[in-house]
Amino acid sequence: MKHRGKGIGCMWYPIGFTVLANPSAATVKINEDGTATLLTGTVETGQGSLTVLGQIAAEALGVSTDDVHVVSGDTDTTPMDTGAIASRTTYVSGNAIKLAAENARQILFEVAAPMLDVRPDQLEAVDRKIQVKYFPQRCLPIADVALQAQFVMGRPPIGSASYNPPTVGMDPETGQGKPFSTYVYATQCAEIEVDDETGEVEVIYMSAAHDCGTAINPMLVEGQIEGGISMGIGYALQEEMLFDDDGKQINPNLTNYIMPTSLDMPKIDVDIVENFDPTGPFGAKGVGEPTAVPTAAAICNAIHDAVGVRITSLPATAEKVLKAIKELRDGGEQKALPAAE
Amino acid sequence: MTDITLTVNGEEKTASVPPETTLLKMLREDLNYTGAKLGCDVGDCGACTVLVDGIAVNACLMLAGQAEGKNIETIEGLSTLEEYHPIQKAFEDVASLQCGFCGPGMIMSTKALIDQGEELTRDDIKDALSGNLCRCTGYTKIIEGVIDAYEEITGKKVPETNPRAA
Repeated sequence: MKHRGKGIGCMWYPIGFTVLANPSAATVKINEDGTATLLTGTVETGQGSLTVLGQIAAEALGVSTDDVHVVSGDTDTTPMDTGAIASRTTYVSGNAIKLAAENARQILFEVAAPMLDVRPDQLEAVDRKIQVKYFPQRCLPIADVALQAQFVMGRPPIGSASYNPPTVGMDPETGQGKPFSTYVYATQCAEIEVDDETGEVEVIYMSAAHDCGTAINPMLVEGQIEGGISMGIGYALQEEMLFDDDGKQINPNLTNYIMPTSLDMPKIDVDIVENFDPTGPFGAKGVGEPTAVPTAAAICNAIHDAVGVRITSLPATAEKVLKAIKELRDGGEQKALPAAE
Repeated sequence: MTDITLTVNGEEKTASVPPETTLLKMLREDLNYTGAKLGCDVGDCGACTVLVDGIAVNACLMLAGQAEGKNIETIEGLSTLEEYHPIQKAFEDVASLQCGFCGPGMIMSTKALIDQGEELTRDDIKDALSGNLCRCTGYTKIIEGVIDAYEEITGKKVPETNPRAA
């Protein structure tokens, strides 16, 4: 008989470690046609970070994301970056890029100010224009200002900056301190079905509510969460590295190291719970690794809800779940199987 | 060495390869079609999926000699310089791919599925993609992309299902 169960898992996750130096640097160059070139040392691994970083630069410069050409991950030409690790790229590299773009924009403001008869601090960059705040009809195209800056004023609009979440040493006696710059929070709920004759668990539905600060690109945030859930399902139910007595892995192939396929994926509802983090670029924090954290807990809680057994070692394979169900039937201490629905 | 003549994306090609060469190795190294990827090389991951006479196969498990006279389609045959194939367009629109390594295989499996011309459900799509592994996306946006492409190409709708209704 199959039993349905529901479970919840919650988590928090730290973004931007501060116990060690954790810098990112960036250079933004505004070209004379109004486009911009962004140099960043971080690496795109498919999560869409270069899209998001381009969006951050574009927002700071008042241009379209299509106008920003991103050059990344080339140690010959790009500034130093600690790396695409620790869910830090949007937060740390994003902050560096926002600062670099603001430095380049400041040159545009200083060049445009006498052209518009105002002070630089009265200007803003919006919709590919440098315009007077509250008087948007008094404006100049960014391309014209960049051209003026380069060829008349002799001040090419380039900005470089770095960002390092302020390093805070931990107290050597108490181990206390502020090890990270900011934190994200999430809750995932799982609805599952357990077959009490085979022990097999099928995930039917997952809902995931994630705080990531400002979601700079909500579609990419969804993609990260859905990918994290698939890794979480593998962690909960399938994936296990097995070693022999000599420490050699005995399942080093995809045939016997079982990872989720399209058939293992449930329907997923993603809920992005936005808030504004004042230390992040345009309020953003991060979303990468946290997505895989609460899934296994939610699924194991759902197994308990369905058949009354606590699985305390992962993965919760069919063999393990069936063994636990049998022990419970043979007079274990856990609560009895719920009545058939 | 074995001489092999086959059609790749509508063009006749010939290659002279050792008899143990796989179709994937010949495509990538002798004919320079590097779109199909070498992942596991034992038929688990599906990154090397190409169509042989319209059927999706793991090119790493097929000998080049078995492809003699066959009609092969690879990812390179889908788009032109002017426009994407509707499957590629749908995958791009919903951000189906992340690192993209599984992409050529996913898209060729999708093409084989849609080309069959049968009415599809969400379960049929999940089933057809089950031989293509992806570590990044959780398959969710890939399935969305396949549904969009199917609806665009055939004009039919994939029925909505609610798996929570027991």
